[in-house]
Amino acid sequence: MRVKNRKQLAKWIPLLVLLAAVVGGCGQSGDTTAWLEKPYAEIEAAAEGSEVSFYMWGGDERINFWIDGYVAESLKENYNISLTRVPMDAAVFINKLLAEKEAGRSEGVIDLVWINGENFKRAKEKGLLYGAVAEKLPNLEFVPPEEIEYDFGYPVEGYEVPYGKAQFVFEYDSAEFEAPPRSFADLEQWVRAHPGQFTYPQPPDFTGSAFVRQALYAATGGYEQYQGAYDEALIKANEDELWAYLKTLQPYLWQQGRDYPQDKARLDLLFERGEVGINMDYNPLDASGKVLNGRYPETVRTFVMEEGAISNIHYVALPFNAPHVPAAMVTANFLLSPEAQLSKNNPENWGDLTVLDPQRLPQEWQNRFGQLDLGPAALPVEELSAAAVPEIDSGYVEYLKKRWEEELLQ
Amino acid sequence: MQRTRNTGLAHLLPLLIPFGLFFLWGIGYTLYGAFSGASTAGGPTLQHFRHIFMDPLLRTSVLHSLMIAFTSASIAVAGGTLLALGLWTLPRRVQPLALIYKLPIILPHLTAAFIVMILLSRSGILASAAYQLGLIADTAAFPDLLYSNSKLGLVAAYVWKEAPFAALLVISVLTKLNFDYVHTARMLGAGRWFTFRSVVYPHIAPVLDTSFIILFLYTLGAFDIPYVLGGSSPRMLSITVYNLYFRRDLAVRPQALALLTLLFAFSLVFVVIFFRITRRMRGREAAV
Amino acid sequence: MKGFMRDGGVVRGTSIAGSSAVKRRPGVLDPGSTFLFLLVLGLLFLLPIAVLVLYAGARSWQFPQLLPRGFSLRAVEFVGRQYGAIAASLLSSVLYSLAVVALSFLLTVLPARALAWYPLPLKGVIEALFLSPALLPVMTFSMGAHVLLLRLRLSDTWVGVVAVLTVFAYPYMLRSLSAGYQRISPDYTVTARNLGAGFWTSLLRVEMPMLLPAFGAGASVVFLVAFSEYFLVFLVGGGAVASYTGYLVPFLKSSDLQIASLLTLLFLIVPLVLFFILERWMSAVFSKRGLNNGADKP
Repeated sequence: MRVKNRKQLAKWIPLLVLLAAVVGGCGQSGDTTAWLEKPYAEIEAAAEGSEVSFYMWGGDERINFWIDGYVAESLKENYNISLTRVPMDAAVFINKLLAEKEAGRSEGVIDLVWINGENFKRAKEKGLLYGAVAEKLPNLEFVPPEEIEYDFGYPVEGYEVPYGKAQFVFEYDSAEFEAPPRSFADLEQWVRAHPGQFTYPQPPDFTGSAFVRQALYAATGGYEQYQGAYDEALIKANEDELWAYLKTLQPYLWQQGRDYPQDKARLDLLFERGEVGINMDYNPLDASGKVLNGRYPETVRTFVMEEGAISNIHYVALPFNAPHVPAAMVTANFLLSPEAQLSKNNPENWGDLTVLDPQRLPQEWQNRFGQLDLGPAALPVEELSAAAVPEIDSGYVEYLKKRWEEELLQ
Repeated sequence: MQRTRNTGLAHLLPLLIPFGLFFLWGIGYTLYGAFSGASTAGGPTLQHFRHIFMDPLLRTSVLHSLMIAFTSASIAVAGGTLLALGLWTLPRRVQPLALIYKLPIILPHLTAAFIVMILLSRSGILASAAYQLGLIADTAAFPDLLYSNSKLGLVAAYVWKEAPFAALLVISVLTKLNFDYVHTARMLGAGRWFTFRSVVYPHIAPVLDTSFIILFLYTLGAFDIPYVLGGSSPRMLSITVYNLYFRRDLAVRPQALALLTLLFAFSLVFVVIFFRITRRMRGREAAV
Repeated sequence: MKGFMRDGGVVRGTSIAGSSAVKRRPGVLDPGSTFLFLLVLGLLFLLPIAVLVLYAGARSWQFPQLLPRGFSLRAVEFVGRQYGAIAASLLSSVLYSLAVVALSFLLTVLPARALAWYPLPLKGVIEALFLSPALLPVMTFSMGAHVLLLRLRLSDTWVGVVAVLTVFAYPYMLRSLSAGYQRISPDYTVTARNLGAGFWTSLLRVEMPMLLPAFGAGASVVFLVAFSEYFLVFLVGGGAVASYTGYLVPFLKSSDLQIASLLTLLFLIVPLVLFFILERWMSAVFSKRGLNNGADKP
């Protein structure tokens, strides 16, 4: 009986400890935005020997490899910072930060996130971001300020740091098809002539969403009308033309439009296996890169539509409860440096266009960017710039995401 | 050694933490969230359940999941039984060769989905084989296994992963059956089917039922395979819940919890049936 | 793992045919059916592995080729370069799975003993309740468990992951151990007590060794379940706890089938190696203690 009593007592102790922890709930005094007051030299010094957990979309292994390889190695070498990349979709880590903010968690696990567009807006509105870090970074001077004032129509105010430029392009195999469609009207003819050979990732996938927006510009008379703040009446007046266009395409799509690839990676797979004839990507040098590493046949080429190619900037940002703020800021600055931007721009690595303005760079760097070989499948930079059209307010993005499902999946 | 009731109950205390704390709290959170109103002032509400019944996409998701789960579990149990019977009646010398059937058990569900995708997609390996054999002319002619409405791909992945598991369960019961019964029946001239029906089946029936319940409930709520393989619509319940809970606004979370509550209530019924069967099974074993 | 195959062999009970191997016993499959059966097994279970191996070394592989268009070491090189991250995530998965096995064992050994040996009220109900976390779909309680761990400041930690995995994996160990206890006679413990052993001594030195096969079976299942889990580890670990499934999933969803195939094959190796070691360890312990189930009679 003695044994039993002691054993019984022992069982309760861990439980009591647990309950005490829940009730007590002593919070740690987290990092306030004190770092924003300090000079950058001090931030850089504090970052030495620290670590960064970088949460980002992990669906492209070339990007992953560039981050895990070049970026992580450079950070280690130059600042002794250990970088860990964690693959997680933006919507998911925003939810995670929301939950942490609600639970009063002042020190989280995420130091840096890849973010833009409607996710940035949501994060900033709910107070999930650290603060106006961009202005503290020396390398920001190479970026034209007017380009980073608004992100999908929402003021940035320095809460996120630019690190790459994207432009929406299409890809096709010139050995399979003699000429690609040159406009959205052309596309309609093309899918009729080649049924089952075209599809787009299902929104809310980022690329699929962008395709729908491109179709919106084409079907409703251009992007200019959507500039400025979100106007619900405007989109409601125009959306029927968009849905009519997409529904015209629908029966000639892959799977007769009854099913769509879950995400961009699935579409990539269909294109690589030869199941569809046209691919689309936010990275204009994607085709070049895949030709270089052997995944695409050498005959693949990039093209854009007459109605323009949507261009936007992607950013990194610090969450409100980042545990290693100085290191995160140094990392963001490094990503913005000419060396990193040049390496990123190389189609052998990632091929992501630079946000730096060559005019603002020293001559040596201007030359190096100018001499960069964009690969066999890429469009010349001038052609891309000429075709560039801007993004619109993220309110439209959300609206279209919701409505697409209702219109096209029923 | 005294084996009193109280000592026995004391033995159960270690499970208080995992079961009592995490499991009950977890279920409680789900139930609480499912019935809580949009405003904290309001009392319990059924609005989220109403929303589920009214939203066609959510409705189809539930029905679709039920159908896939039922189909997969049935085929897995049937296939697993065939597998088990084959293993049981193999000549002893070849039996070690047959151990490869355990491969799907070791691999996680994620990889089962991946394998099914590369084998069965329209531009997959099987399609290539069909082309080489002259059966089809291009990718479009290969049957729509992964994306057609019957979602054969999901079922194939689940069956591939679950049939060996069912076989394992059936084998463990088969080995308790004296093979001489079969031997005698066959020697007396009974056909294969008759032998199965009257000698083997009554012995394994309970384990078939319990395996079915285990697999049915698992497939209904499983996340891994649809996450890797799932088509765009209709979606499996777990993906619908995942999207509602993690990828949308906080305001729609109660809907996800309401769906989970329905899942919980439904599963509870089957859990009760499961334990009724095992109790009978245990009773029968004790009697023998 | 091979235990039941040895037991479940065809020739249990007296063999009328005697030892002349040529005579086939009625009920056993004939060579034709045997071949067919093995062929089907091979197609179903070996062919996919073969395809994975081909993909792992493929350059690019398009419809309708039956073989890849050229071979390349790109996937192997990738794994070589990423060796650190891969090894770290594999190790992390193995470690937390082993921790789950250990924790499950510690938590369920006494309850299993009670369920098998003690007169408990409503035993059936209690057993059903305690086994239910494994039957009910995990998502029904995972969200709440995560919120609780968040409040306890255990989310995004290794401890939190082990805790939540144990919650849904312990029933397998409980089941195994209670079946194991049912097969042991309490008389051994009575004898030990009469000789002066206390509760814990008799538990550790008399009951545990006899429980070894049950532990082995339970440990195998619990380990596999924990090792293969993706959703819970991703949810509770928040990306901060490395896991091999977490590392693998982005590749499975990507368009890079070559790397995904190679990583999947890697996944296969760990449990195989571990089970091999477990088998060896268990038979070593058995023969050392003379509890060899008659396996190596002189």
